[in-house]
Amino acid sequence: MFFHIVLERNMQLHPRYFGRNLRDNLVSKLMKDVEGTCSGRHGFVVAVTGIENIGKGLIRDGTGFVTFPVKYQCVVFRPFKGEILEAVVTMVNKMGFFAEAGPVQIFVSNHLIPDDMEFQSGDMPNYTTSDGSVKIQKDSEVRLKIIGTRVDATEI
Amino acid sequence: PKQVLEMSDKAGSLLSSKGSLKGKDDSAAKAKGRKVQFSKEGPFESVMNGTKSAGKDKVANGGKSSATKDPHQYEQRVDQELPENFKCLMDCEAAVMLQGIQDHMVMLSRDPAIKIPASFDKGLHYAKSSSKHSNPEAVRSILEPLKNHGLTESEICVIANVYPETADEVFALLPSLKGKRGINSKPIEDSMSELAKLKQPIFTV
Repeated sequence: MFFHIVLERNMQLHPRYFGRNLRDNLVSKLMKDVEGTCSGRHGFVVAVTGIENIGKGLIRDGTGFVTFPVKYQCVVFRPFKGEILEAVVTMVNKMGFFAEAGPVQIFVSNHLIPDDMEFQSGDMPNYTTSDGSVKIQKDSEVRLKIIGTRVDATEI
Repeated sequence: PKQVLEMSDKAGSLLSSKGSLKGKDDSAAKAKGRKVQFSKEGPFESVMNGTKSAGKDKVANGGKSSATKDPHQYEQRVDQELPENFKCLMDCEAAVMLQGIQDHMVMLSRDPAIKIPASFDKGLHYAKSSSKHSNPEAVRSILEPLKNHGLTESEICVIANVYPETADEVFALLPSLKGKRGINSKPIEDSMSELAKLKQPIFTV
């Protein structure tokens, strides 16, 4: 589900960015650093929507860098246990199928697929009901309930 | 049956879901869960399949069988894990917001250092394709009053995103509401019929 939240971050800025465009430089650095990232607590930061507050900068001893505490609003996408959402199937194999909902990857094990659906291998592997009325294959839309989440640091 | 059990043990180490596979051994619970499910979801399921398959691939409700293992495990309210300041967005609201940002991005993209991340594109595409309402404000004003009947913000957002057609569907999809069923049916029924009036026609070209 999408959420609109306020987050805070300490941004370090090199003196070369000071001057008239300090604020703009700070904001673009923030967006570069934060958009597209994912954390276990907040989920995917999809977009920064606004800056709420930029605090006073503190010069760090020994270097010329200045640290600004920045409060910003952003749209995040975080899936939850118990949430129901719709996803598009990306891959089907005999262990289950992978689906995507926005930036999030979902895996549905074949144990959680209704028993009357059988895996059919072939050119387009799919799960089909015994009477052939419902088929889950690549690019199918499915509605599912999330039963667990995991953050994989290597896949950002 | 033996083969199935072995596979489920293997898969258990791959998956991070807790104990969902253990429930499969308990056939009594499974049978009971199944029975409750089909009786509840039967009426609307055919309606959903009918509307969804128009022009799109068939929709299968993959989440159904999770309730056969341990129904109470997944009935956590969506907002139990949420920190305080999380404001839920319906998919339609998010689509509007992200579209506005994308329009801004056109200006920002003149700066070659700023790259639009893949997750933004995916997020925007997902929000647009899963938003079923063209008028987020109207939906919000219809569902806001349900807060007075005990629904939380996140439950209202799930209802808006999933877009059920009857109150029965709402209770089937959000088991945490079942405890309050007696009190909440009527306002939910009213809200569902108001939402139906707003429904985007799916069959127009």
